[in-house]
Amino acid sequence: MKFIDSIKKDFNTMTWVLIPVAIAINVVVGQIVLVLKLPVYLDSIGTMLVGALCGPWAGALTGALSNVIWGLAIDPGAFPWWPVAFFIGLVTGFCAKGGLFKNWWKVVITGFLVALTAAIVSTPIGVYLFGGITASGSSFITAYLLQTGQGVVQAVFSTNFLVEPVDKISTALLAFAIIQGLSRRFLARFPRPENVEIETGATRTQMFIAIGIVILLVLFAAFVLVNILS
Amino acid sequence: MHERLSFYVKRDSPLHSLNPLTKLTLVLGLVLISFASPWYWTPQFLVLFGIIPLIFIGKVQREYFGAMLRLILPASGILFLMQVFFLPGEHEIFRIWVITVTQESLTNAVTNATRIFLMVSSFTLFLLTTHPSELMSDLTRRGLPGQFAYVIISTLQIIPQMQSKAQTIIAAQRSRGLDTQSSFGKRVGALVPLVGPLVLGSLVEVEERAIAIEARGFTSTRKKTSLYEIPDSSLDKVLRWGLILLIVVSIASRFFLAGS
Repeated sequence: MKFIDSIKKDFNTMTWVLIPVAIAINVVVGQIVLVLKLPVYLDSIGTMLVGALCGPWAGALTGALSNVIWGLAIDPGAFPWWPVAFFIGLVTGFCAKGGLFKNWWKVVITGFLVALTAAIVSTPIGVYLFGGITASGSSFITAYLLQTGQGVVQAVFSTNFLVEPVDKISTALLAFAIIQGLSRRFLARFPRPENVEIETGATRTQMFIAIGIVILLVLFAAFVLVNILS
Repeated sequence: MHERLSFYVKRDSPLHSLNPLTKLTLVLGLVLISFASPWYWTPQFLVLFGIIPLIFIGKVQREYFGAMLRLILPASGILFLMQVFFLPGEHEIFRIWVITVTQESLTNAVTNATRIFLMVSSFTLFLLTTHPSELMSDLTRRGLPGQFAYVIISTLQIIPQMQSKAQTIIAAQRSRGLDTQSSFGKRVGALVPLVGPLVLGSLVEVEERAIAIEARGFTSTRKKTSLYEIPDSSLDKVLRWGLILLIVVSIASRFFLAGS
């Protein structure tokens, strides 16, 4: 079974020990950001670290357990959002496996893809569990969109899509910076050190192609959004 | 600053002596029934005749009401206000400037806010009466891989350590003149000198810990014995099956009524 083997590959002892540390990083960095009063959450740095270093399934597990712990220890209202964190870890893992965690602009693409997934996954939770409007600050945007006569699903999705990219791209960049600060000997003990080997050499053309693709993606997303809105 | 990282309070009550899995079923039952039941007043009914008696049976009323004032009421209150003012509807009750309160938004807001109130309350109740390690050893005994228990329990220990480390780092960097309060640009710039040392420092410990638990048979596949026995009486089993039956009935009644 190739699929089971690829899941098993994610989990060695280093992974199991890294996961608790990663969850603690999620929680504590999230709290530091609150102290600094920044307009982002940055509460999935650890999840992305595990996703990149150990693989998609380890990342997904870290995300899900992160929300369980958040619920157990800090705010019981965090339980229902676990699928969002699950998919953040999963998508980061697959992006890193596909080579999108090797230099800064590729990491930006990873962040964008993660944000898109997070927006899609959190929409049904927000709509069916909370009736569309949650108690967070970004719900004012949703409320405004609802007042302009939009459906609940569209309004919630557009709000998420506006809020997520900034947060997830900065999270991915921070995770990347942290990995670059670790020694190669240390990284080699994790299941997938090849994911984060930094790329050097003539990548300029690649970068232009990638920027082009990102612009196209953004335009496409904007197009879809405008169509949904009208 | 050593924060206690668990809601658990030790008391001698019938709720505390139930098996953790029974309490977990109870929580899930309350949440699922409140969402699935087709009857409009179910969530309110469950709060009045489910949550409130259970708090007194569990003898955790003081801690529960503390958590309610601090966490649950603000969250569901804000949710209620936002929804009542901003959800769209047909039959207008009154209007102030851009804010319109309609019958639909009022009824929806009441339902959603009570459901959230019920959900967070029942989780709080569960956490107040169940020790995390008790829950984990019971679930491990029932076949949850030991690694999961390790992750949950050790995270609950690592977070307070890391929080105090973060406090130290913030204080140290401030004393060296790091600006954490003024303009937006300065605060963004403060992120790296705070997060960097914290994260890199904690990652360094990972390797040592991996070697230590490896030496204690962490990856061994043999069946492990437990030091504590967690009671699982026949009352527990009856309660669990009863609750599962109730959940099935309420979900079925939803589909049945939606179909007719």
